[in-house]
Amino acid sequence: MRLVLCTIYVFMGALLFELPNMTRRELLFAVPVPPGFRESRAGRHSIRMFRLVIVAVVAAAAGALLLFPTRLLNATAGAMPIAILLAAGIGFRWQNRALAAAAVQVTRPREAEITVAPEYLPWFAWLGAGPLVILAAAGTWLYLHWDRIPARFPVHFDAAGQANRWAERTIKGVYGPLFFGAELCGWVLIMALAGWFGSRRSRSRSVMLGGMIAVEYLLGLVFGLISVQALLGIPVWAIALAPMAILIPLVIVLTNKMSEPWEPMDPTPNECWKGDVLYYNPNDAALFVEKRDVLGYTLNFANPRSWLLLLALALVIASAPFIMA
Amino acid sequence: MAQSPRIRFDPAAGIPAVRQIVDSLRVLLVEGQLVPGATLPSVRRVAMELGVHFNTVADAYRQLAAEGWLELKHGRGAVVVPRIVPAVRDGARHGDLRNRLRGLVAQLRAEGIPAASIADELRAMAKVVKRS
Repeated sequence: MRLVLCTIYVFMGALLFELPNMTRRELLFAVPVPPGFRESRAGRHSIRMFRLVIVAVVAAAAGALLLFPTRLLNATAGAMPIAILLAAGIGFRWQNRALAAAAVQVTRPREAEITVAPEYLPWFAWLGAGPLVILAAAGTWLYLHWDRIPARFPVHFDAAGQANRWAERTIKGVYGPLFFGAELCGWVLIMALAGWFGSRRSRSRSVMLGGMIAVEYLLGLVFGLISVQALLGIPVWAIALAPMAILIPLVIVLTNKMSEPWEPMDPTPNECWKGDVLYYNPNDAALFVEKRDVLGYTLNFANPRSWLLLLALALVIASAPFIMA
Repeated sequence: MAQSPRIRFDPAAGIPAVRQIVDSLRVLLVEGQLVPGATLPSVRRVAMELGVHFNTVADAYRQLAAEGWLELKHGRGAVVVPRIVPAVRDGARHGDLRNRLRGLVAQLRAEGIPAASIADELRAMAKVVKRS
């Protein structure tokens, strides 16, 4: 189990190591920079410093995990991902501040098509229903094999892979993860559709929709596996590593797509980016805009609908104790 | 398939967004790219594409409705209507026209556009206006 956790930490580290490349070429640590800045001495130095932080913290986390005694394993396993993310956040912010002087304001006229032609979703949007079908199929399969489900089965495991919480063969115990997974998938699907209809027309918008649908599959896969685990006894390491099967290709594809110079950057005003991460522009009708820190889209927090979407997520999370054993 | 007409908004132009939208739409209306009966896209869609507030586009639509180009119907959006061009009777309007053109030329020259380019553009535009 230590090796599985180590693999997850190294994977996290690899993702964060690549973070500076997961944006448009005109952005570096969420700062809009002049063309060619990335290749300049200052740009390369900034990327190097950030990566040093990531390598140091991941090496420390992996070392701690492998060397610490078993009694500290649970605490270490829980604390290390937080430490890695925290260090990455601090490293990112450090470079963001360091590059502030090099920031440029991207200005470009915007155009609007004067047409009332309906906006169609891309052909692959229907795939968004897939994860819900997967969860429904898992539920049906559990229903058909109800008698084979053990009266008591493990639902939570410690860092050593030992079960430390159990559920009973009840509606809540068996179907709870499926209900919760369906709620999460539904929320991601709503976000994907809101992102499509609430953002400016661009090619990146299709990439975002595809990315969100892939995230939905990831959730569907994880919660599907968790629910059938009661019956099939799937090893916990397999469930822990399963998201990588979707995450790795997703990150590779998105990074390639988003870094292609296919269209100029959306010229959002610099002063509307709070900490260069949160977008708050009451004068922009868009609900979603392209992110600056990493690839993807983010909410315009000045739009009241963005708070409705976040409230929906809060409700989904708050419902977990009520629907899962 | 014919491309739909487009309007443009340049946040760096130093011209208020409402005016830029009104001017862009008026060009399409005068040039006949938007004909009576055509429906304009929703305020929400245009505002989102241009990165401006809903009210900015709504104001622009209202201004064009006041000029007689559009009819605003609740639930149906903005529809282009036939417009009667007001007749110009007195010479004062011609003086006004000259002043406005002088003002525009002065503004363009102040922005650094060469006088020769402005003159060429005005000559080309004059030919188009005479034909219409």
